[in-house]
Amino acid sequence: MHLPILMRQIRFPVMGRYAASLVLSGTLLALFIPAIAAGTAPTADQATIRDFQQRLNNYLSLQKKQNPPNKPSASADKLAEQKEVAADKIKAARPAARRGDIFTPPIAAYFKKQIAITMRGPSGAKIRASMLHAEPLPDIHLEVNAKYPKDLPYQSTPPTLLMNLPPLPKELQYRVVGSTLLLYDISSGLIVDLIPGAIA
Amino acid sequence: MKRERYSVLALLTGLSVIFALGFPAFDGTFATARSSTPAPALAQTAAAPKVDVRIPLQDKSVRFAVIGDSGTGEREQYDVARLMEAYRQAVKFDFVIMLGDNIYGSHSPRDFVDKFEKPYQPLLDAGVKFYASLGNHDDPNDERLYKPFNMGGERYYTFRKGDVAFFALDSNYMDPAQLSWLDQNLKSSQAKWRICFFHHPFYNEGRHHGADVDLRTQVLPLFERYAVNAVFSGHEHVYERMKPANGIYYFVLGNSGQLMKHDFRSAGERLKGFDTDQSFMLIEIAGDKLFFQTIARGGETIDSGELPRNGVSVGAR
Repeated sequence: MHLPILMRQIRFPVMGRYAASLVLSGTLLALFIPAIAAGTAPTADQATIRDFQQRLNNYLSLQKKQNPPNKPSASADKLAEQKEVAADKIKAARPAARRGDIFTPPIAAYFKKQIAITMRGPSGAKIRASMLHAEPLPDIHLEVNAKYPKDLPYQSTPPTLLMNLPPLPKELQYRVVGSTLLLYDISSGLIVDLIPGAIA
Repeated sequence: MKRERYSVLALLTGLSVIFALGFPAFDGTFATARSSTPAPALAQTAAAPKVDVRIPLQDKSVRFAVIGDSGTGEREQYDVARLMEAYRQAVKFDFVIMLGDNIYGSHSPRDFVDKFEKPYQPLLDAGVKFYASLGNHDDPNDERLYKPFNMGGERYYTFRKGDVAFFALDSNYMDPAQLSWLDQNLKSSQAKWRICFFHHPFYNEGRHHGADVDLRTQVLPLFERYAVNAVFSGHEHVYERMKPANGIYYFVLGNSGQLMKHDFRSAGERLKGFDTDQSFMLIEIAGDKLFFQTIARGGETIDSGELPRNGVSVGAR
């Protein structure tokens, strides 16, 4: 399985938030698909990954349309305000958002499979040890299009796990809460989607 | 190496001392929110901390302070901050690196005041710059954009001071993009010294957390390939100086606000440890030597020494 090696070879230039989003997503997709075509991932997953990337792009387009990039500030008040505005606008633009909009059942199944393969692989023990040492969070009720719970720490996501999942643009992150995998929007603090029970 | 030791009594008055509620470390349950922690209510005339400088203060050296897991907003954080200011007056360090967990609990505007701006106000007023890295209690949006943390809007970044290049990493989310960035920037660095700092330690012998072995597996090969000299991490709420490995020195400093008392497992890779009070570090880099001094909240120096670049410790005590 050469996918992790391939992923480490990918160079991601530091780019502006929105200007780079769609370009980056397309680039990542273009890099990811040849890996699959080269036999590093089952061909049957190709459509699933492409569907995932398209849904990500749709979300990023909506995000871009709703909000200018958050700007650095020396004022914590201003930072809180712009994040609040960003969250409100995205929530309003996705009033019917629900679990599975991005992690559709086939995509969620693909992610669960990738995670299971990774956790059973040669790095599995190290990943589990890292998760155990990173202040693991309990399973709690989380909702799509809601804010990440106030005061809840951000458990680190093991790097080897990230290498085996489809890459994300810098606005979004995979986060782990208990056994749930989240798709997290950094700038708004919103949970974009989630897969309960993803971390077996 | 000429080593000067002298003491200075620095008078600090009017420094506010916070009396906050307890703030337990996250232990599998949610840490109690402290967003309502009142700002320091009483202004006290602080006793002048005694300063005992054990770094040489050479001309044109790079001097900085190190804090980790600092942002509790509690009295102990303020005590350490007051001591830092006393040492700044003697040492003239002009920047501080932060090893993550810079703001615990909620991230309301009030929290930024109580857990950062207020305790370090004398340092900020003196023009000291803070360079933050993100811990698991830090908000990746709010803090990377918070100008006083000097992160330039990024989760990971680099900056240079004299002969020293610093790499602030986000160990919460070491994705392929960050690994690639690190590879490129370490490779292209022309600095004599390369120092990396981030939250989760590669090595530590605390009971509470322990080492992040997956992070180490992915990142350490880059450090070794590009001859990183020293690594500073937090997360474990103690101070540890670990055995150097392949020319890299490892420090854990996660007790500048938080503290996990009597947290140590038996020492195997640990050369020096301190787990009974808060502390901070002073670093001076001059030529081919790194001088360090670790100072406890009570003022006593708990560790100090000098370390050669890409070599074995010769002077640590």
